[in-house]
Amino acid sequence: MTDAADEIICLKGVTKRFNGNPAVEELSFAVRRGEIVALVGRTGAGKSTALHMMMGVMPADSGSVAVNGMDPFRRFRDLRGRLAVSFQTDRLLPWRTARGNVELGLQILGVPAAERRRRATQWLENVKIFGEENAAKYPHQLSGGMRQRVSLARALAVDPELVLLDESFSQLDHVTSSALRADFSALVRRLGKTCVLITHRIDDALEMADRIMVLAAPARLMLEVTVSDERRADAAWRERQHERIAAAMAEGLEPAGAVSAAAGI
Amino acid sequence: MTDALRSGADMTAASGGAGGRSTAALIRRDLWANAVVILLIVGSMQVWSQFAPNYVMPSPSETASATGTILGSQFGDILITLLRLFYAVGFAMVAGCLIGAAMAMIRPLQPYLKSLVVINTGIPALSWMLFAIFWFKDAETRIFFILAMILIPFYALNIYDGIRALSTDLVEMVETFRPTRLHVFLYLIVPHIVPYVLMTTKSIIGYAARMTVFAELLSSNIGMGARMGLAQNNFHMDQVIAWTVLLVVLNLSLQALVAGAERLLLRWRPEVVVR
Repeated sequence: MTDAADEIICLKGVTKRFNGNPAVEELSFAVRRGEIVALVGRTGAGKSTALHMMMGVMPADSGSVAVNGMDPFRRFRDLRGRLAVSFQTDRLLPWRTARGNVELGLQILGVPAAERRRRATQWLENVKIFGEENAAKYPHQLSGGMRQRVSLARALAVDPELVLLDESFSQLDHVTSSALRADFSALVRRLGKTCVLITHRIDDALEMADRIMVLAAPARLMLEVTVSDERRADAAWRERQHERIAAAMAEGLEPAGAVSAAAGI
Repeated sequence: MTDALRSGADMTAASGGAGGRSTAALIRRDLWANAVVILLIVGSMQVWSQFAPNYVMPSPSETASATGTILGSQFGDILITLLRLFYAVGFAMVAGCLIGAAMAMIRPLQPYLKSLVVINTGIPALSWMLFAIFWFKDAETRIFFILAMILIPFYALNIYDGIRALSTDLVEMVETFRPTRLHVFLYLIVPHIVPYVLMTTKSIIGYAARMTVFAELLSSNIGMGARMGLAQNNFHMDQVIAWTVLLVVLNLSLQALVAGAERLLLRWRPEVVVR
């Protein structure tokens, strides 16, 4: 049981339907401050719909969504600077340089130009993009991995309390994705940020998250797995969890409580 | 990236430009072709002038002499035409962009503005010229009105289409920062429509220059169009051809100016070469 004041995200009985078809049904979960939580599910499991409701770009049909105690849809602007999102594709503005892209959120927050430039340069270095030459490059001059790093720097530069990652590593090759995941989780842990990672890749979740929630269509919670650094380092444990999560993703497992209890988690 | 589509930078590095030629070689080839065409035209004029009176076809030397005279004594008329053109294109650009943006962003206005612009595109340039003569006494107002009415729809429709082509992914990304409408306009829409503004300017600048001259012919006593009309009334064919030569040079210079602005403002855009 978590303390309500400690919860940065709280979904209670959230349902969302499109043309009468449920995308999310009676979904309830909470995310504590400083936690990295992965929402894992197959394509069409309703992960992105849940994310859009947390982002505040889509209202829930029933139930309640709260981010920092506020309804992110109704109080959209009140969350400015507190929440940032990184997507599956980098979504960099092609007419801005790497630094210009990182400055975008800071410009919207009204940060003065000199401070903006300093912070953008610092954030590029934090995601391992060094030097004036790279900072001045346009997106088409950067590799896919570098573009995704810029995208993460853009999200983190506004110093948000909550970072939402929508399949942010899934379009990169295995080596690049692995390096970026490691760098990102180290950075997020060091800064004490809360992070919700949406992914269909079980390895991404096992490598990064403190807690994994497995969803099956229509976004029902099927399984919850708690991950610690010791467990993460245990290859046999990881393999077992990989199989359980894969089975839960394939639907038909018992509700979350039963599975967690049975697994002794 | 497919084999068929590669960035310009890649192609240049790999083969020294499209079709294996460097940019400098392509420029040299184009200059050579232009020189050949000009020589053929001058040669034809020379031959024709041997058999026709000079009020029908003056010799190239007479035309060159008339061009020199114009540049020496009537340079002000060229500047006036240019000024009229810049004023009108600048105004049409701003007004057209605002109308196009309103069409794309203010839904209740969209059908009315769209209808207004589409009806405008159906009105011939000549009608606007005649309306202007009836409605306005001042020559400057007439020319400005004619050009604005002709040019605004080009910008409005292209900007409208440009904004509609804006990637929803980018809109969603910007919205995650909780921007105001002004932020979205300044940081997303304005930079996004720059290529559309340049493309429109590139397409209409030659047409606009011709329309300026035409409007001057009908509505003014000064400017290149007015001087051409005067030369025609006095049977000075050498001057008519000289003004035409200057108009061609002016047109090419304007095209080069827009191309330069495009290179400067769109340096972020990768050039794609299709093999």
